[in-house]
Amino acid sequence: MSAIRITRAGPLATLQDAGRPGLLRHGISASGPMDRTAFERAGVWLGAAGATGIEFTTAGLGFVAEGSVSIAVDGGSFELSIDGEAKSWPSRALLSAGSIVDIRPGPAGNYGYLRFDREIDVPLVMGSRATSSIAGIGGLDGRALRAGDVLPLGATLPRGRGQHPTPATVADGPIRVIRGIHADRFSNAIRQRFVTDAFAVSPQLDRMGVRLADPGQVFAEAKILSLVSDAVVPGDIQILGDGTPIVLMRDHQPTGGYPRIATVVTADLDRFSQLRPGTQVRFAPVTVAHAEGLKP
Amino acid sequence: MTDTLTPTLLPLGDRGLLIRFAESLSDDANRAAIGFAARVEAAGVRGVVEIVPNLVSVLLRYEPGAIGFDALAGEVRLLVSAPGQPAAGDAEHRVTVHFDGEDLSEVAGLVRLLVADFIAAHNAAPLRVLATGFAPGFIYCGMHPEALVVPRRGVVRRQVPAGTVLFAAGQTAITSTAIPTGWHVIGHTEFRNFDPAAEPPTTVRAGDSVAFVAS
Repeated sequence: MSAIRITRAGPLATLQDAGRPGLLRHGISASGPMDRTAFERAGVWLGAAGATGIEFTTAGLGFVAEGSVSIAVDGGSFELSIDGEAKSWPSRALLSAGSIVDIRPGPAGNYGYLRFDREIDVPLVMGSRATSSIAGIGGLDGRALRAGDVLPLGATLPRGRGQHPTPATVADGPIRVIRGIHADRFSNAIRQRFVTDAFAVSPQLDRMGVRLADPGQVFAEAKILSLVSDAVVPGDIQILGDGTPIVLMRDHQPTGGYPRIATVVTADLDRFSQLRPGTQVRFAPVTVAHAEGLKP
Repeated sequence: MTDTLTPTLLPLGDRGLLIRFAESLSDDANRAAIGFAARVEAAGVRGVVEIVPNLVSVLLRYEPGAIGFDALAGEVRLLVSAPGQPAAGDAEHRVTVHFDGEDLSEVAGLVRLLVADFIAAHNAAPLRVLATGFAPGFIYCGMHPEALVVPRRGVVRRQVPAGTVLFAAGQTAITSTAIPTGWHVIGHTEFRNFDPAAEPPTTVRAGDSVAFVAS
């Protein structure tokens, strides 16, 4: 049996897998990787990967292999070194016992992923090992990873046909949205400015939501009171009472009573999650029929 | 009753259809939403991967590879107007409450009752579970009669523990995890509606009835 010992982790490094969808009525949002396509790519490089991996942030990650294990990393653009030797990003490597891995922030992205050729041996909670930062369940005791944690790894999976890691091409351009369930509560002028004005990712972001800066004060005058709460889905853009727009992410609150002007299409949510604070964001409306056919 | 409310159908993202029975909370709209959710569940609509009853709406999450929004909306319209109701299998729960909350005397004062009389009025009739889902195992129960309706507090408490009994807006709510709240704390209970090791993790469903008993 193999394991890794964490030597350095940011406050938001968590275990993630495909998450636990289908539990909204129980008050639990699905969680899962902020950038699902990057998480899946890391699995493709390995060929056969455990369902659970580590999501880390721009605070980076350091760990020591306690036994031999194959790893792959992807997501954003980070700086990886193994035993002091710089490696490319994304990457795949076979670690031997005692290998020291160091991951530091690079030029782009908020989230990176580390996956193994075996399962991380933590308990399943409601069918998943994903950490929910809002419910405090899953992963390692429902919390973020920290230095000193030892993650036991299960048996090696049957070997799959891996691929040589290549950097993904990330689309740019506006973030596409579908009209929100409360769009009609906003004036025409505000609805129009929402898709013409520029917003920016603020420094207040986590797995629950990303607050946006609104330099044009688009929502300063939007006073909407007392909505009955409805279920929330990832990508919902709600406007808080003080006019702050917030994009709800994978660990979103399961229900919400603030007005929602739009919802980010599924295909653009991964890309949106990787935008760093200060990045300008524009929104472009698309139809549901169009969005249903989009690939991330 | 259900058939008299014509719902609005809205996309919620590109994988969700929201069926909204009203713009504000009413007993009729709440019953319509819960009844419709049960009807969809019984019908087993292709492509629907999750059914979420809310206070006055129902969210259907769907898999676009199996059904598109327009086709699902068509199915929903047929189900809304279909005659008949699913059999009511709504469970009854008995919840023992220790009425010792920090805001209890303030709340009694707001409705101009002595504390003992407030407790008696609060427990006089079973309530219906209006909705679940705000947090793991959290339930909203209502509606209390008009005389017991008080607004939320002005200030949000940063955290109340699991088992807190909350009161505001004509409803009583019970927490099963620690949450922040702007509702009045009127008591606590050993009753829990969340066990992550159980399948399903919560057992109280919207539409169930809850009888409150003072400890």
